[in-house]
Amino acid sequence: RAMELPPSHFPAGRAAAVAVGYLRYLRGGPGRGLELRTLRRARRQDIDDVGHKYCLELELEDVLDKGRTVHCTAEVLYHLGSKSTAPDVQVTVQGELRSTEEADQQFYNRIRSLEKELVAENIPDSHGNVPPELEPIHLLAWAASGYVIWQNSTENTKFHLAQVKHVKQVKRSDEDLQFDYVLLLHEMVSQEVIPWEVTVLWHPRRGARVPRDRRQPGLAPG
Amino acid sequence: DQVLHIVPETFQQVQDLHLLCSNLMLDLWKPLLPEDIRAGEDLHIRVPAPLVQEVKDSLDQHMISYRVLIPDVQKLVDQSMPMERSSHRQVSGGYVYTEYHPMEEIYQWMTQIQNNNSELVTQHFLGKTFENRTMYYLQISQPSNKPKKIIWMDCGIHAREWISPAFCQWFVKEILQNYKSDPKIRRFLQNLDLYVLPVLNIDGYIYSWEEDRLWRKNRSPYENGTCYGTDLNRNFNSSWGSVGVSFNCSSDIFCGSGPESEPETRAVAQFIESKKSDILCYLTIHSYGQFILTPYGSTTKPPSNNEELMQVAKEAAAALTGKYGTSYKVGSTALILYSNSGSSRDWVHMIGIPFSYTFELRDTGTHGFILPADQIQPTCEETM
Repeated sequence: RAMELPPSHFPAGRAAAVAVGYLRYLRGGPGRGLELRTLRRARRQDIDDVGHKYCLELELEDVLDKGRTVHCTAEVLYHLGSKSTAPDVQVTVQGELRSTEEADQQFYNRIRSLEKELVAENIPDSHGNVPPELEPIHLLAWAASGYVIWQNSTENTKFHLAQVKHVKQVKRSDEDLQFDYVLLLHEMVSQEVIPWEVTVLWHPRRGARVPRDRRQPGLAPG
Repeated sequence: DQVLHIVPETFQQVQDLHLLCSNLMLDLWKPLLPEDIRAGEDLHIRVPAPLVQEVKDSLDQHMISYRVLIPDVQKLVDQSMPMERSSHRQVSGGYVYTEYHPMEEIYQWMTQIQNNNSELVTQHFLGKTFENRTMYYLQISQPSNKPKKIIWMDCGIHAREWISPAFCQWFVKEILQNYKSDPKIRRFLQNLDLYVLPVLNIDGYIYSWEEDRLWRKNRSPYENGTCYGTDLNRNFNSSWGSVGVSFNCSSDIFCGSGPESEPETRAVAQFIESKKSDILCYLTIHSYGQFILTPYGSTTKPPSNNEELMQVAKEAAAALTGKYGTSYKVGSTALILYSNSGSSRDWVHMIGIPFSYTFELRDTGTHGFILPADQIQPTCEETM
């Protein structure tokens, strides 16, 4: 009952994007950005009264370590009928990811020692440039976008982070760093660019968490 | 010199690679010794420039897939040296093809190109945009007695896809720069005329520079000026309005009030219609995704010449990959991307032009529409 799918066709591609988004959220951060290099294999199983399950074999790479291949397998289960339930995702990474301990600690110390809360916008700028000191902020946004993408994807959508519109650091009394982002997500099927408010908490050992997110209401004026 | 990245899949491949590295005495960057090459593990090999083609051919023969990790080792070395880099890649008149240019500069560039290459290039009026800007295309044509078939290429139908007009400009520059020295280009132009429209959606492109980097559509107003823009690539008369569109102006895939409702669409359609018996191939350049897309978007039923269309596209994709290892997928929009109707490529094919392709350039989502300018050169080089 499991159908083999051509990896180049969109159903498999959309499921792969969800799996990668999920993994980015789990394992991404200011020192690590995971992207899909190739979808090697995809199979789909239609489970009565439950939904559609995609089994995927993926090759990923860390944008900061492109020479190394990260092999993964993933399962993405889209629930039947329900538009408001996130797909169930499981990802298994083979082998070790490059350690980001040192870079994470440096980033953490740098931000904690800022006198004024960090504020930035348009990352990257219109020409695709990201100032080096903002690259970790960009990668953290990418990890956070993974959460939003995972939570909001269906078989009829494919999301990518288009740009960080705005980011503001919020100083906290506990050990976490907090950034309030406005992310611009591009949805491929409708071609819409959707602004999304995302609060991200991050800590070198605890990783990234999204406690709060909200699709910005209202469409941008023409 | 290039550095190739290979992940051997089988023991046989490991043995073949071991032999290849030993016979040609290739420089292993990872692992250090040939005997440490293992299936499932990363292999990085530096291949001296004179051997690159031979090694790639050998890998293809052994069905070993590879990607180019470093396309030019010397360039990387030079870049890491703290010395002044000469402004290479600048062509006649100092136009920098490795940067994105606003519309004003593109208009000036077109004039320059015609002036500097008047034996080959003529600039022609195509039509006007909604905001009354002039659309020009460049005709690259070797004077000759015999009638020639036409290859048409348009860029920038979607405002935010900046790499697309950058490619059209690069393409023109490459053809003109190498016309005298490259026999392939000369032979090409002996038999074919090239018509290039560097920016189709001029109003949208300007809007993406001045107001909203991620704008897609044109700038015609609807609903009493409360809503702007039609998706020009849903506005052509190919199963218009049937699938993959919205009839709501606020949508990014709004197909307009009717087929060819937009002046930009009409300008292109009228011209192509008038020349259709001479047009051999239609190319429309977009981003992102890394695809070569064939008709149709509105149905999965293949076009009549699908086999030939696919074969040519596959060869193009292979040639593209051969440059920097960038992988492109080939197939119909309806199977690879999504359903859509009213696309220029579908309309062109439906009126009888046999070869009609949509190119979706780099990348696959990491940067998406906001592709950094330092990728202009490799993107354009591989697509050439």
